[in-house]
Amino acid sequence: MQPGRFTPRRARALALLLVSATLALAACGSDDGGGAGASASGGAATSAGGGEPIKVGSLFSVTGPPAVVGDKMRKGLELAVEEINAAGGVDGRPLEVVFYDPAGDTAKAVDQTRRLISRDRVDVVVGGGSQSGIALAMEPLLQRADVLFMATEGAREIVQPAEERRTTFKSTFNDTVILQRTADFWRARGVRRVGFLPDTSGFGESAKAELERIAAASGLEVRSASFDPTATNLTPQLTKLRRGDPQAYVAWTTTPAATTFLENARQLGLGDGVLLGLGFGSADPAFYEQAGAAAKGALLSAGKLPIYDRLPDDDPQKAIIARFVEAYQARYDEPANVFAAQAYDGVKLVAEAIRAAGGDLSGRALAAALEGLGTYAGVNGDFRYTAEDHSGLGVDAVAISEWDGRRFVPARDGLAR
Amino acid sequence: MADFLQLTFSGLTTGAAYALVALGFAIVFRGTRAINFAQGEYVMLAGVTAGALHAWAHPPLAVVVVAVVLLGALCGLATEVACARFLRRPDPHTLTLATIGLGVAIKAVVLLATDRKAYTLPGFSGEATVALGGAVLDAQALWNCALVALAAGALAAFLRHAPLGVALRASADDAEMAAASGFSRRGAAAWSFALAGALAAAAGAGLAAVSPVNYDFGTLLGLKGFAAAMLGGLGSMPGAVVGGFAIGLMEAWFAGYVSGTYADVVAFSVLLVVLFTRPTGLFAAVRVERV
Repeated sequence: MQPGRFTPRRARALALLLVSATLALAACGSDDGGGAGASASGGAATSAGGGEPIKVGSLFSVTGPPAVVGDKMRKGLELAVEEINAAGGVDGRPLEVVFYDPAGDTAKAVDQTRRLISRDRVDVVVGGGSQSGIALAMEPLLQRADVLFMATEGAREIVQPAEERRTTFKSTFNDTVILQRTADFWRARGVRRVGFLPDTSGFGESAKAELERIAAASGLEVRSASFDPTATNLTPQLTKLRRGDPQAYVAWTTTPAATTFLENARQLGLGDGVLLGLGFGSADPAFYEQAGAAAKGALLSAGKLPIYDRLPDDDPQKAIIARFVEAYQARYDEPANVFAAQAYDGVKLVAEAIRAAGGDLSGRALAAALEGLGTYAGVNGDFRYTAEDHSGLGVDAVAISEWDGRRFVPARDGLAR
Repeated sequence: MADFLQLTFSGLTTGAAYALVALGFAIVFRGTRAINFAQGEYVMLAGVTAGALHAWAHPPLAVVVVAVVLLGALCGLATEVACARFLRRPDPHTLTLATIGLGVAIKAVVLLATDRKAYTLPGFSGEATVALGGAVLDAQALWNCALVALAAGALAAFLRHAPLGVALRASADDAEMAAASGFSRRGAAAWSFALAGALAAAAGAGLAAVSPVNYDFGTLLGLKGFAAAMLGGLGSMPGAVVGGFAIGLMEAWFAGYVSGTYADVVAFSVLLVVLFTRPTGLFAAVRVERV
């Protein structure tokens, strides 16, 4: 062996080092965007009044599995904060955002939440890590610390039962509301037998339980077949459901499996005289665009944002959404979506509550203020928080849209009357 | 009956993907005695690259496929360089460990580079489907099965007859002896990783034509491909093909007749059963260890 060359032992040590370095690098890579605890005040904080800033803690997974959603949420939050600060803040006090990225990791999110409470001493928290499971884990910590928590995640358990979630609210649809509206739509279209394809994540599982409950109450015959969120082939599930001869199929997921569902369903020849649809987790045109011809005529159960410009002029939602969509487009040079709107609404609602509470920033005071707001017209619909309902949005905010091959348009019977 | 046929078709579609991944495991194992746990991420990388290339420049499909296969081979070589370059004696265990790290790194890089978008390719023969006995088969599934047959046949012939293939096997059996005859272990590792990369790329392109591909989809695919390779017998080409299709079919039947919720359990149950009862898999030749 030549002097100075690696001995096998040193070589092995080096290999281990290399592996750990690669892993560490990967971890850092996915941590990008503030995992280390970026504290950024809202962009326009300086233009607000000279008051002491109100600290808004925020957790969004801008990396990791829920990143598609988290990225939009963070931008929606920033936009709202900038708008509020540009208009002089809340009662002369600017909002200051303390942001962490849990990257889809619940344990990390819990640590970050503790840091928000004890080290950063934030006044309110908006955003529950872009994943319902994370928001659920953050909730008890924030409630114990008497910090108002405005979750921007979907699962209804985040705010239910309301008597155990005194200081926790959310700015999103309950899947209950979306499914109820969808069931009404099916009834209007004469559909009785439904094939339901939820994925095996919490998002899908929750919808499955809820749809089965709604079905029992409204005389629908629902059969379900679940699939893994990374599935590349849903033909087995569709084949299984086909035996019950459903008049409508709906897939409930947030992953590209939504596209696969549309393609597989058309390949099996379903869709002629049968309604194919996706849930509000798939409210992104990309899911439909990538399915090509297979997506034409497919439905979407979600908020009114994707079809806002096609709403009747007497719908008050039209102008509100238009203003938000244009502001978002101008700020980020990319189209807004429902997730951005959820975070945007969340911040605006909290600001309203702070104003109404008159200086008392305790969780209980702000919760009482939110419950007393009456109707607040947000981007995703009218929020009506009550002591029993901390989710606020009702069926009137839900629309069933149809993909016409290029964009979403309102479906026949798709808007609540 | 039509249902059974439909589920079988569906199983063949996914099975082809598992078989291609399993072939990648097989070739690397044959060349280095290591297990390349980055194989699934290679497939993902190739699928995403193919889809992105298609979306960006709309070149003819054949160009996309050839380009990603070449790129896949290069990535394979790069892996070998990255993992083994710094090792004077890259033993299989270190190499295996290094591929786990590499897999994580590839996933992270794709996540950042693509902004988590999903990509897709048009079918190699359009959106055509084949109707047979009341069931429908995506024409792309036939392409993918053909790809499996071609890859397995070519690899088996290469290992058996081509001088390089024989040297590769010899090096994996006894690196010292092969080196003494003028074929270095590095050479063997480089060639097997390049082949595995090219295979993964073909699989990625084939899969992107079946369903959209994003950064998240390689990990589970890689693990299922590994289960398929173990079922067939690690290192056996026919074993990889049979293992891949067997797992694909079992999954589809299970999802269709029992429960889609637990369909993923099938592959890993098979893996456990194989490990407990027949660790050499179905097709592995009995290995004579001379003491």
